[in-house]
Amino acid sequence: MARLLAVAVRRSVNAFVTIIGIICLNYVLVRLMPGDPILSQCPHNAQYSASCAYDYSFFGLDLPPWQQFVIYLQKLFTLDWGVSYTTHQPVASVLMRALGWTLVLVGTSTIFTILIGMAVGSYAALRRGKPFDFFSTGIGIFLYGMPIFWLGLVLQFSFIKNSFFSQTFSWWPVLPPHNYYDFNNPNLSIVWVWDWPHVSSALVHLILPALTLSLGTLAGISLVMRNSLIDVMTEDFVLTARAKGLNERQVLRRHIFPSGLPPMVSLIALDLAFILGGAYQVEVVFDYYGIGWWTINAIDTQDLPVLQFIIVIGGVAIVIANLISDFILLWLDPRIKIT
Amino acid sequence: MGATEVVISRPSVVSPFRAQLTITGRRLGEVWHQILHNKTAMAGLCILIFFVFLALAAPWIAPYGPLQPVNDAPALSPPSPQHLMGVSRLGNDIFSQVIWGTQVSLLVGVLAAIVASVIGTAVGLISGFVGGWVDDVIMRFNDIVLSIPWLVLMIIVAARLGTIDLLGIILVIGLTGWSVTARVIRSQVLSLKERMFVERAKMVGSSNTHLLLRHIFPNAFPLIFANTILTVAISILSESVLAFLNLSVRQNISWGRIVAEAQKNNAMTIGNPGWLIIPGLCIVFLVFGFYLFGYALDEILNPRLRRR
Repeated sequence: MARLLAVAVRRSVNAFVTIIGIICLNYVLVRLMPGDPILSQCPHNAQYSASCAYDYSFFGLDLPPWQQFVIYLQKLFTLDWGVSYTTHQPVASVLMRALGWTLVLVGTSTIFTILIGMAVGSYAALRRGKPFDFFSTGIGIFLYGMPIFWLGLVLQFSFIKNSFFSQTFSWWPVLPPHNYYDFNNPNLSIVWVWDWPHVSSALVHLILPALTLSLGTLAGISLVMRNSLIDVMTEDFVLTARAKGLNERQVLRRHIFPSGLPPMVSLIALDLAFILGGAYQVEVVFDYYGIGWWTINAIDTQDLPVLQFIIVIGGVAIVIANLISDFILLWLDPRIKIT
Repeated sequence: MGATEVVISRPSVVSPFRAQLTITGRRLGEVWHQILHNKTAMAGLCILIFFVFLALAAPWIAPYGPLQPVNDAPALSPPSPQHLMGVSRLGNDIFSQVIWGTQVSLLVGVLAAIVASVIGTAVGLISGFVGGWVDDVIMRFNDIVLSIPWLVLMIIVAARLGTIDLLGIILVIGLTGWSVTARVIRSQVLSLKERMFVERAKMVGSSNTHLLLRHIFPNAFPLIFANTILTVAISILSESVLAFLNLSVRQNISWGRIVAEAQKNNAMTIGNPGWLIIPGLCIVFLVFGFYLFGYALDEILNPRLRRR
């Protein structure tokens, strides 16, 4: 038990060091971006030079770098994240709203991906070498190699009005290709309200982005699930279990699944980085104004306050997800040897 | 004449280098034999050969250059017998662009994967072999790099390098893609370090450099090789994403760039869906080929998943 505690403490310290590292590296990275964010917005006219100088001091860009770093740390921990260079809205409120929408998208697709991926992967492992295994693995590798943005574009154009399919089949549905709810509908207010018209509109708009992200990340889960189970199936203790006369269901439930599942936990946590990367592409394709869309937008417009906190949020989320998966692994699998 | 007979009667001495070469050659022959009898590997290899042929033969197959405007059809015209996939907004033959795009995708994929593999292997070998605080520092740094969303990291490096020509794209993808490789190699080195032959080599007094280069590295090499093939697939995908997000120069006609052009010009609604679909399918099949070959090679070179 003491050993377990020591491991948990070690892991937490590692995670803490990693987060500090992310915060420092992020400061350097964002300031390595080429160009001058204020200058790029200033009109080329002498009469505006005073207001540009004001902008520099307003955003603290005239201070020496170490002083800017102190302010950056101070703002980071007080959640007062400053004002966006381009929209002049508080960064915290912009990002919290975007984060909410991204969590809806990533959450929905991750739940489907994990459920379907694990089911397909374990069934393929049980039917190793049979047609189901062959086809599911083939389709899995095929999907795994698909650029997510392209998949999104193809789905988008397959479900627009007058698409090829809807002209061929009368029952083919038309699904909205942009935004997270219907901004053009006069019955819906632009400001989000928690009522049925808004929620239903948002759900319909969620279908295509979530489907794209799920299809793009499904294969990773199912392929690893299959390989992990097959790895376990060739172990000696499974042979022993069969030899002592357990039926196939008991072998599966008592011996194969308990040993095959732990790798999946860490995979899902590691996959979060990959899913977030996929979410970026999906959000750009579907104009879904979440964290990913804001990232690309912030890079395009050199909106450094927004960009730097996006990186911190993403990095910290991944570190914490990994830490939680480590703890779950410790709890599931006490054998884990720590080097 | 008599003198030579005396020489032959002595036991023949083979130089260690020749012996090593013979062993390596025999091992490669074995692997090649297994590849020939592995359906997955052959399927992957066939796809790869097809695309390599397309890339090498582009100057002869493609009717136009990638950026050469055509005279006999208006811009954005749909597919016709003269232009199998239609004409782009700037008046380029899209069919030719797709063929030329093979070169960019293969070149960027392979070279970026080599850059990533060399860095990742070096970092993984040192981190796993030296251990201690060096390992701790390297692994924390690796965690940090892995935790910053890769797309953001890539975009910032890309933006920093300024004009992103072919070399720039290769460097961006290579410099941001090594951390997974480093982890894989490190764990392999950790397990190799405990093996008996390393113990024995230590016992007879081999230096660390000798251990690392002559015992650990050759034994980790099959894994490194299979991993590099898989990294090629990932690099090709990364290139297409960067091109789609307009982060490579306009003159680099790659498949991702063609897809982006198709999207901007509403290819699907102006009666030219192939403009969007075919370059995308090319990416999918090329990556599929590398994955198939890589996974099969992994199973051949690291035979722990064989059926008992």
